[in-house]
Amino acid sequence: MPSARSLRRTGGNRGGRWLRLPRLETCVMSAAVLALVVLVVLPLLFLLVGSFRGEEGLSLEHFAEALTGRLYLQALRNSLVLGAWTGFFSILIGLPMAWAVSRTNVPAPGLFRVTATLAYLSPPFLTAIAYVNLFSPNAGLINVLMRDVAGVPWLTFDIFTMGGLVLVTALHTFPFVFLLASSALQSVDASYEEAAQILGASKLRTALRVTLPLIAPAILAGTLLAFVNAIALFGSQAILGLPGRIVTLPTRIYALFDYPPQYGLASALSLLFILITVAALYLQHRFLARRSYVTVAGKGARSQLIDLGPVRWLLFGFCVLVFVVAIVLPYGALIAVSLSKSWGLSFWQNLTLANYRFVLFEYNVTQRAILNSLLLATLAATIAVLLGAVIGWIDVRTRAPGRRLLDYAALVPLGLPGIVMAVALIQFWLTLPIALYGTLAILLLAYVGRYIPLGVRAANTSLRQIDPSLEESARVLGASWGRTLREITLPLIRPGLFAGWLLVFVPVIQELSASILLFSSSSITLAVAVYNLYETGYTEPVAALAMVNMAIIGVALLAANWLASERPHGRPPAAARAGATA
Amino acid sequence: MAGITIRGLSKSYAGDAGPAAISDLSLDIADNQFVTLLGPSGCGKTTTLRLIAGFITPDAGTIHADDRLVSSREHVVPPEERGMGMVFQNYAVWPHKTVYENIVFGLKLRNVSAREARARVDNAVALVNLTGLEDRLPSELSGGQQQRVALARSLVVEPKILLLDEPLSNLDAKLRERMRGELKQLQRRTGITFVYVTHDQAEALALSDKIAVIHGGRLQQFGTPRDVYSRPASRVVADFMGLVNLLPATVVAAENGRARLRIGTGWTMEVDMAGTPRPGQTVEVAIRPESIRLQLPAPAEQPHLVARISESTFLGNIVDYHVVLEDNTALRVQTHPLEQFAIGDAVAVQVDAGQCSVFEVPVLDQGEPSREAQGAGE
Repeated sequence: MPSARSLRRTGGNRGGRWLRLPRLETCVMSAAVLALVVLVVLPLLFLLVGSFRGEEGLSLEHFAEALTGRLYLQALRNSLVLGAWTGFFSILIGLPMAWAVSRTNVPAPGLFRVTATLAYLSPPFLTAIAYVNLFSPNAGLINVLMRDVAGVPWLTFDIFTMGGLVLVTALHTFPFVFLLASSALQSVDASYEEAAQILGASKLRTALRVTLPLIAPAILAGTLLAFVNAIALFGSQAILGLPGRIVTLPTRIYALFDYPPQYGLASALSLLFILITVAALYLQHRFLARRSYVTVAGKGARSQLIDLGPVRWLLFGFCVLVFVVAIVLPYGALIAVSLSKSWGLSFWQNLTLANYRFVLFEYNVTQRAILNSLLLATLAATIAVLLGAVIGWIDVRTRAPGRRLLDYAALVPLGLPGIVMAVALIQFWLTLPIALYGTLAILLLAYVGRYIPLGVRAANTSLRQIDPSLEESARVLGASWGRTLREITLPLIRPGLFAGWLLVFVPVIQELSASILLFSSSSITLAVAVYNLYETGYTEPVAALAMVNMAIIGVALLAANWLASERPHGRPPAAARAGATA
Repeated sequence: MAGITIRGLSKSYAGDAGPAAISDLSLDIADNQFVTLLGPSGCGKTTTLRLIAGFITPDAGTIHADDRLVSSREHVVPPEERGMGMVFQNYAVWPHKTVYENIVFGLKLRNVSAREARARVDNAVALVNLTGLEDRLPSELSGGQQQRVALARSLVVEPKILLLDEPLSNLDAKLRERMRGELKQLQRRTGITFVYVTHDQAEALALSDKIAVIHGGRLQQFGTPRDVYSRPASRVVADFMGLVNLLPATVVAAENGRARLRIGTGWTMEVDMAGTPRPGQTVEVAIRPESIRLQLPAPAEQPHLVARISESTFLGNIVDYHVVLEDNTALRVQTHPLEQFAIGDAVAVQVDAGQCSVFEVPVLDQGEPSREAQGAGE
């Protein structure tokens, strides 16, 4: 018989009759939507409005100037040239490596993957600084070595050129091509290639006529990603481009904020910038969509490794070269500079830790920058992930109207170069009576806004792996929405959220493009401090600070690795086991 | 009293214009009953269960639980305020909580004191034979054990109504049989109203006090297992409740609820028939394979038909025969394995007319070729 103890709460007095969702649920979801509006939608609207606001009322004067002024056209051309060459070199480096790793018996494929990962993680403005120390026309160590010691002046290289800029940028962007191309290569079924070979095609012909067309969409998609990322990088373009008078869109927008600031023009230029980026990302999306159509191979995809014979050592040598140029040279240079009293040919004669002591313990600006960056990265990552969890939950679990729109809004920042985000935030917050400019808060808003797509994506992926019945069974037992979220949903998606947290933390620690317009002396960040010290000519402390920056990223990644392999109490990864069946 | 009263319930998914998942369903589930919603996949039975649980809002109609209105188009009492229990097809045992933590969750929500909670969990654990496994994680349990954790978790809060969504479908045959027995006992012992969803007619027959057969989003029949099996309300129900021979027939004569039917050429049979049968009317007669008797040699004194064995399949506890009558009507027959016949044998066929059902054939469907002997088992 039903027990008297069985519990039935009197429903209906919580929330009105007309309210389908209990109050907390509505509040949290509305707050998340509101946050997204404030972080992304409103700044973009103000950017749009600002670009059309002239001296008196609406006008197209800013766009007219941006599209006719010599300075701006040149910046636009330089950015496009930089993007195009970087894309080209990304293919040149990334594609052979991808093919070698996924389809051939090349030795040490692990080294190829590590090279790509490290190259992607290295902040390009640090690589740029390192290369300046090696290849600046007068004082660069290798240039000096070649010219003055070896006596071969024609072997010197001027880093302050478009060539130098492309080299440093491509070292950061080739992993996009590498990753997309190698995953495509791995999903091409070997039977396609075998069919061509049985018909009499040679290995080379098969690769060019069968394999290449199959993975072409992936290569193009990777190249476009490389393009979009390349043109958005402020740091390397300022460090390498400005001395050689190569002005690009980010550096031109940055210059517009010199006194007197030209907000309207900066906004118009930013919108053009967004246009280019979004067009490239749209094409990239189209290409990737096509890829799945071409190389559908199902579960049976198997690929046979091609025996390259001695040629494989050639490919291996190529990879080693990339490893040296992308990792060993820049980090070797930075470590050497950071340990030397005065950077020069005989730097190894008087090594010192004084530079580290200076940036860590003596100079309060760098101390403040380190603490600010740690605080901001921690907060930004946490907020982006929690916000992402709620937005992801709305998208995956509810039938709320407009949830697709919300999802798109959360992805928009992917198309925003950092400096454009900063311009938009300035336009928005300067019109409000809240004095946010120059505070840590506006930096936090910029970071959360920029990286919210990573949080949403991490949450979405995790939530899709958790069967809804796990949440529903808690509801039936009497748990409210909030309680279910806290006790069931969040613990189950924790591994995914943690991965998302790191995905945000790492880029925020090294964020420069947006910070450079938003910082003040009290809210200075690590990357900005590196850039400012470099501008002021503190060669050796800059290197020490750069190494501190890398150390923080390294520790974060090691922690991630450790936590990913650690399964508390021998529990299986929650996502994989969620709703496990017999 | 914790009965469920459903009136005119409708729900369609792709907006109101889309195909209805469930339409105009009315059902009275009495207190203390084991009621099964039975139907093929996609028939709307799970939708009905989720409507009862409060996960979805009906497009029309009402649900009263315990004489309280809990669901209507305008207002739905959220699941957490219904005090029901639910066992999911995939068990939904939380992988990050131990067996004990899983089971005690509902008690914590009800602010039960730690001591009482401990005692009640111990009881529930004993009830489902899991004693000693309290500190295990779900990943360390077998499917059947996880299933029982899900049961204990629902039972420990002593709901008046327990909803079960195909809880046995992921278990192997032997375990399924055992859990079936345990569920039945559990329902008797606790007196909780069970609403059980399954597509397995054997499971429904074995467990239920009453079965609601749902097909195409509509309730086809609601009755005891015996009724539903031997007095199916429509050919859809007859077809779904196990193997059946559905044969076209014509009414020859009718009187007082009895009708004489002619099946094929020259074979007549007298059966009970509801409604107002008219001579000349085309009907369908449903004959279960076990209501047919085969004999060899033919009994001299009884009237019988003659058929030839065309196929035989030994299934262990029964033998399944395909036989063909002289007028080429094919029949499925199931007999005790000791009664053995060889392919090609001419056997005497006797049909137990008392076990047959007759359905009127809608005029529009007359052109449809008759399906015969279609099984609906797994």
